Amino acid sequence: MARVNPDFVSELYKYGEKDFSACYNCGNCTAICSLSTAESSFPREMVRYTTLGLEDEIKSSLKPWQCYACGECTTDCPRQADPSELMMSLRRWLMAQYDWTGLSGLLYKSLPLSLVAFVLTLAGVLFYAMQHQFNLEHLMEVGHLFEMVAIGSVGVVILLPNIARMWYFTILKPGVKVSFVKYVKSLGELFVHMFTQKRALGCDDNQFRWFEHFILVLAYLSLLFTTVFLDWFSTESLFVHVLGYVLSGLVFIITVDFVRHRIQKKQAVTKNSQPSDWFFVVWLLLMGLTAFLVKFFQDMSWLESNKWLYIFHFTILVQWALIIVPFGKWTHFLYRSFAMYFEKLKG
Amino acid sequence: MKKRIGVYICHCGGNISDYVDVAELGKMFHKEENIVVSKDVMFACADSNQKDMIADIQANQLDGIVVASCSPKLHLHTFRNVAIRAGLNPMNYVQVNVREQCSWPHSDKPREATVKAAGLIRAGINRVIHSESLDNIEVEIKKSVLVIGAGVSGMKAAIELANNGHEVFLIEKEFSVGGHVGQTGKVFMTGQDGRQIVDKLYQQIKSRNNITLFTGAVLEKVSGSLGNFQVEIKVKPRHLNAANVNQVKVDERMTFIVGSVLVATGFDHYQPKAGEYGYGQFPQVITLPEFNQLMDKSKGELMCQDKPVGSVAFIYCVGSRQTKGENKYCSRTCCNAAVHTSLQLKEKFGNIRAYHLFRDIRTYGKHEVMYEASCRQGDVYLKYEEKEMPLVSAEGKQLLVKVKDYLTAKKEIEIPVDMVVLVTGMVAREDSTRISEHLKIPIGNDKFFNEIHPKLKPVETVIKGVYIGGSCQGPRNISESVQSALSAAAKVNTLLSKDTISVDPVIARINPDACIWCGKCADVCDYTALKEVEAGGKRIAAVNKAVCTGCGICAPVCPENAIEVAQFTDKEIESMIDGFTTQFDIPERQQEAEESEQDAVTQMKEYPQVWKEILAGMTNEQNTIPQIAENSKLSKELVTWHLMTMNKYGIVQPARMDEKELYFYYKVKNH
Repeated sequence: MARVNPDFVSELYKYGEKDFSACYNCGNCTAICSLSTAESSFPREMVRYTTLGLEDEIKSSLKPWQCYACGECTTDCPRQADPSELMMSLRRWLMAQYDWTGLSGLLYKSLPLSLVAFVLTLAGVLFYAMQHQFNLEHLMEVGHLFEMVAIGSVGVVILLPNIARMWYFTILKPGVKVSFVKYVKSLGELFVHMFTQKRALGCDDNQFRWFEHFILVLAYLSLLFTTVFLDWFSTESLFVHVLGYVLSGLVFIITVDFVRHRIQKKQAVTKNSQPSDWFFVVWLLLMGLTAFLVKFFQDMSWLESNKWLYIFHFTILVQWALIIVPFGKWTHFLYRSFAMYFEKLKG
Repeated sequence: MKKRIGVYICHCGGNISDYVDVAELGKMFHKEENIVVSKDVMFACADSNQKDMIADIQANQLDGIVVASCSPKLHLHTFRNVAIRAGLNPMNYVQVNVREQCSWPHSDKPREATVKAAGLIRAGINRVIHSESLDNIEVEIKKSVLVIGAGVSGMKAAIELANNGHEVFLIEKEFSVGGHVGQTGKVFMTGQDGRQIVDKLYQQIKSRNNITLFTGAVLEKVSGSLGNFQVEIKVKPRHLNAANVNQVKVDERMTFIVGSVLVATGFDHYQPKAGEYGYGQFPQVITLPEFNQLMDKSKGELMCQDKPVGSVAFIYCVGSRQTKGENKYCSRTCCNAAVHTSLQLKEKFGNIRAYHLFRDIRTYGKHEVMYEASCRQGDVYLKYEEKEMPLVSAEGKQLLVKVKDYLTAKKEIEIPVDMVVLVTGMVAREDSTRISEHLKIPIGNDKFFNEIHPKLKPVETVIKGVYIGGSCQGPRNISESVQSALSAAAKVNTLLSKDTISVDPVIARINPDACIWCGKCADVCDYTALKEVEAGGKRIAAVNKAVCTGCGICAPVCPENAIEVAQFTDKEIESMIDGFTTQFDIPERQQEAEESEQDAVTQMKEYPQVWKEILAGMTNEQNTIPQIAENSKLSKELVTWHLMTMNKYGIVQPARMDEKELYFYYKVKNH
């Protein structure tokens, strides 16, 4: 027995949804979807849950994560109810539900609040730099330290508990019985999907988009590794030197293409960009660009006279690590792959 | 007794003559006495033959003709017209069906088909010998019409008939006109108020001198028939003010004569039974018409039991589509009405949540746009099945509706609401049986009035001169009701535009000497055509010529054999039986021909040259006609024709079919 919750729809509208109520339940979306199967069918089911406001059912469902937004359902919807957009909004809503701090929800729903967060972090960086008389050497040292501390603390304090909550909502609470052996045996699924997004290849139109995304993920993770653990900004190794340039260049090029798509709005996935989507791609782009420039200026020995560049890069880094990674779109990297893992556990 | 008869036997271009030996039959009847002309013709219905027939009739002074051809459904009137043009009474023409009854069904037995045809023709000749000349019966038509029911349908029909210059009597049971539409607010698609529509029609009625409107009037008695109905109505007294409320008033009775009756008595809303979805149990459960009136009366905020209404659940198909109940039909208007109400609800009262518990949404035609608008405004639709009906119970001051939603994997859903609206369907008027008794209109299983044919005679009833229109025929919306009422009005207009109407003379006749008036015939007559009258000092039955359809049901029940139907008299029927059972001597020509052909083939010493060429052209086991034609240098048509014959005598046989080309492969079976 489930009770209707008519307020859920208006809540979801704040996450970017707008047209789904036009749906008349024909099921074309589910029939046309190349990822939907008889055992796990969507998006129509999610449309129904949303219509009736069955929050528990949505929270315990992994189906929003199984969709990779190829947009075929939206193209073929006879009522222009845009099921693809509903799945996206549900993913945003789910991220907010998984987040124990509740900050994700606030930032998704409110653009002003997001802007305030970005301004506050900028002010923080500037204030810190001012206190240390804009000493470049000190700032770069702190920047490097910050990266390591941020990765560790955000991971432990925010991301791990959130994954645990996701596990609680989707496995524990619905009463799915999973043996320890299965947890271990299914781990492969987690890593395969985390690094390859293999499932997205099942979308009909998606091969190039998948390839770009695949390269971006690898480049981003390697760049992170290069800067944090191989200490790209003060390395002696020529290999690391060149590697860093190549990786930051790749991140920059691919994100430029992603931004272009979002401006052109030609694909279903880029048609309705929410502020969180923009922040994600633009900050990724800026990360690639500023990292490249900082290193280049450093190698040309221009950095000493252009300290602002490093401070800009540092600000981007801080905003990325404190806002976008824990509370923004970055988490889809984790939730998508864990969703595949949990789905394997359920099966 | 006819002495100069013409018989024409049709080949129908081979349709008949391929199996029935038409030429032989033509010759056979030539020998009979009374028969002056006997011919076999290629196409009896051809213009040239019709002209020949007229010439034959006039030259030989024929007094009866028989054509043995196809079904009378096809050409009875063709040859009756030939008779009329030749100056012969059309009732002295008899059609015999030797195509549908002989050549087509008995193509496998040509000789028997010929024997049967001979018997049928003989029967036809015997019938025409005894046939009588009859003229159509002319019935006088009174130029006035009674329209029953002053809803939109009746009013619109009355105006239309008045515009055509007929005297219209419009009677309405209630004291006000307009029926259900008169109690309705905004209607789809024009957004007009129902009352405005009724008011407009009422003004038009008032401005016409030839419409007499009686309100508070019911039908009391109807007698007479097509063109001349005597109608008696009873007009109830009305108590308009306190001054005359205590005065004893009696019903006023009035009679008038009308040429036709148009029934537009409309429908009743289904009234839910006590306890159906909590109706009568909870004051917040009301029907859709009641809800519409509540909405209409409310200003600013919608209130129920002194509480503002924030949410409403509509339960569809209440009193419709009951697979086990009385009303099996779909009322077809209620989905539209409920969706329309839901749109009005938002428009008038803002943010009220609407839940629609439907079985199937049938917002047909242009109403579909309303359904889409309703979805887009956020109305929630849930689908239930009849076997698992929603349950309405109380929850605090609210109601709780529980439903198994078939759109959400049959999940049990609870919906707390302030009001439940039962979307009720249409049922036949409670007093429609009374109307039907007066006018003899048949009533269907669904209790609505029945037309003769829903597609081809949609407003005609089996009672001549009585027409039906609007929702008394079955559930329909305003425009559909007006459409059918107007088409009924058009039929009435056609009838009244003539001074008299011709009625077929094939009707029952009473033999006054034999009749003893037992009343059995009147009991079985579906059309009330038989009445008791006084004639020659005794009571006998009399046939109303305008009403009788000549169905013949009265004839066999008469214990005195005092009834016969024109054209089907005992003498005619008995002579036909005699004719059909006459023995005929028919030579077995066709069968002999077949046998001799077979003999010729089996006794062949050698195949004909062309067969040899075809067999030579069949190089392997699988040959298609085009291949054989190419190999043997013969035309495809010739090859086809000969292959069929060779197949018949087992020389070749089709092996299998080429799916793509749709050709048979032939192979040699027996050289």
